[in-house]
Amino acid sequence: MPLDTSTYSLARLRLDGRRAHELRRLSAQLHTQAAADGSAYFEQGNTKVICTVAGPSESKRRGGANSSEQNQDATVEVEVNFAGFSGTDRRKRARGDKRTAELAHTISSAFTSTLLLHLYPHSTITLTLHILSQSGSLLATCLNASTLALIDAGIPMLAPLAAVTVATTAAYADNEEEADVLLDVNEQEEVELPFLTIAGTGEGEGVRVLVLESRVQMGRLEGMIAVGLEGVRRVRGVLDGIVREHGERVLEGKVG
Amino acid sequence: MAADPSPAPTSLSFPRSTFAKLTPGPFLHAHLKQNPPIRPSGRTLTQFREQQITTGSLTHSHGSAVVRLGDTTVVCSVQGEILKAADIPSPPDESADNEDLLETLGLLVPNIELSTGCSPAHLPGNPPSTLAQSLSWKVRTLLYGSEIVNPEDLQIMFTAPKIDEEDDAPVPEVKAYWTLYLDIMFISLDGNPFDAAWLAVMAALRTTRLPRASWDADREAVVCSPALEHYAHLTLHTTPVTATFAVFSTANPLKQRSEAESWVLTDPDTSEEEVCREALTVTVDGKRVLGIDKAGGRVIGMEAVEECVKLTFARWKEVSTILP
Repeated sequence: MPLDTSTYSLARLRLDGRRAHELRRLSAQLHTQAAADGSAYFEQGNTKVICTVAGPSESKRRGGANSSEQNQDATVEVEVNFAGFSGTDRRKRARGDKRTAELAHTISSAFTSTLLLHLYPHSTITLTLHILSQSGSLLATCLNASTLALIDAGIPMLAPLAAVTVATTAAYADNEEEADVLLDVNEQEEVELPFLTIAGTGEGEGVRVLVLESRVQMGRLEGMIAVGLEGVRRVRGVLDGIVREHGERVLEGKVG
Repeated sequence: MAADPSPAPTSLSFPRSTFAKLTPGPFLHAHLKQNPPIRPSGRTLTQFREQQITTGSLTHSHGSAVVRLGDTTVVCSVQGEILKAADIPSPPDESADNEDLLETLGLLVPNIELSTGCSPAHLPGNPPSTLAQSLSWKVRTLLYGSEIVNPEDLQIMFTAPKIDEEDDAPVPEVKAYWTLYLDIMFISLDGNPFDAAWLAVMAALRTTRLPRASWDADREAVVCSPALEHYAHLTLHTTPVTATFAVFSTANPLKQRSEAESWVLTDPDTSEEEVCREALTVTVDGKRVLGIDKAGGRVIGMEAVEECVKLTFARWKEVSTILP
């Protein structure tokens, strides 16, 4: 139990030494692969993801009958690849793994509503995510990495998407009223505590993605979402900083 | 202004990059014809690309390395898993040769993942290409053939305690083996995948630390000590180093063979690999040659092979000091 240790109840320090509202170390690099249209490497603590973007490219399907009135916008296809060394057990995920498919679908629908797809009719934008190391907050890290890769590819979007996870200590708190909301959950905390992933643009109160798969009391939810949105604002600030720094380097001609 | 190897019929002038894309062969030839010969990337014929090795970045693996050889980036992870002797379907003979033991039991399992979008030729979502499969096989052959790891280093032994005074001294027996899974993943590919992959394998193996494993007779299972002080490095017995060379030749069936000129390029990148039809890979360790791999082509002769082997020995000296 990650919070049973005396350090939390006495000093309010989590297993990795963070306080309740501290994010893990976020670092990223853009344009890691010259061969792809856009690429980014993103690390959130020990969760490491590489995202490459190919496109917009010509769609494989030729909609002869339904091209006129039906949806002409571009489609976003997402493929998620778990490296064998990403988890504690070396396991090769089967191709049609449902969990992976659900992850891919969530990311795909998140970006379908964020990207300006009407600018590229009848094309496909393919996002490929390679998970190099899993240590909690997988969906959030994938969304952040995809945002950076799409920015690197130059695909216009309404606003960058930033994501973060939050958990609540309600079930384990001495006093129910004192339950804390923890920001940026790591592996051990994800196993024990109810947590949700939230993504937004970092401006305003709009929630773009919300995934909650564990049981939480109704009263806790608002607090979690509020802290989550604050976390999203901070992650958005970090992503902005990363993109600006990359832009400066490009202008100075150091990156090809 | 383009350097023209042959007079163009019209007076067009291209920027360098257009010339490189339109006619990559003559572009490379124009560079090699200079005195001294130089390559489009600015390297000399015998110069390797700048390499960067970072180890220990993957948290869940027993050993890992990220290697950059120019623009080729490779991640190698080494993970050890336990194989119980009781689970082996046909256990090897007591007197079985040590050399074959590793291979029969399959204790070293390399796998190369190329379909990661590392280059336009390797798009993700495809099954392993011929190149990926043959690279996996080459790494596997080199791992077993170079005897870099001895089976004794991977054995988990158990000596039953002596119960009676009159009993003979108990014989230690092998209860389980460590199986090392080497996952090699290409993040970006700009030529010479084999050298980069092997460098990553070497760096990862050199920094692999396995926990101390012992056989628990009561539980009939292998138990590993979680204490960090008990983690031990693998004992590596050899340090094979590879070098790949590509041959660019102007040989043409329509020309006299004696008119053809050829150059041997060390550590080719993608643009050079595409116009070279012949390649040679040499593997050495210290003073021994561990392997020479050449498939096809008719330009390289005895002297060129010897020259390449000398260059590989020099490379060995350089790399064996850089490896962690």
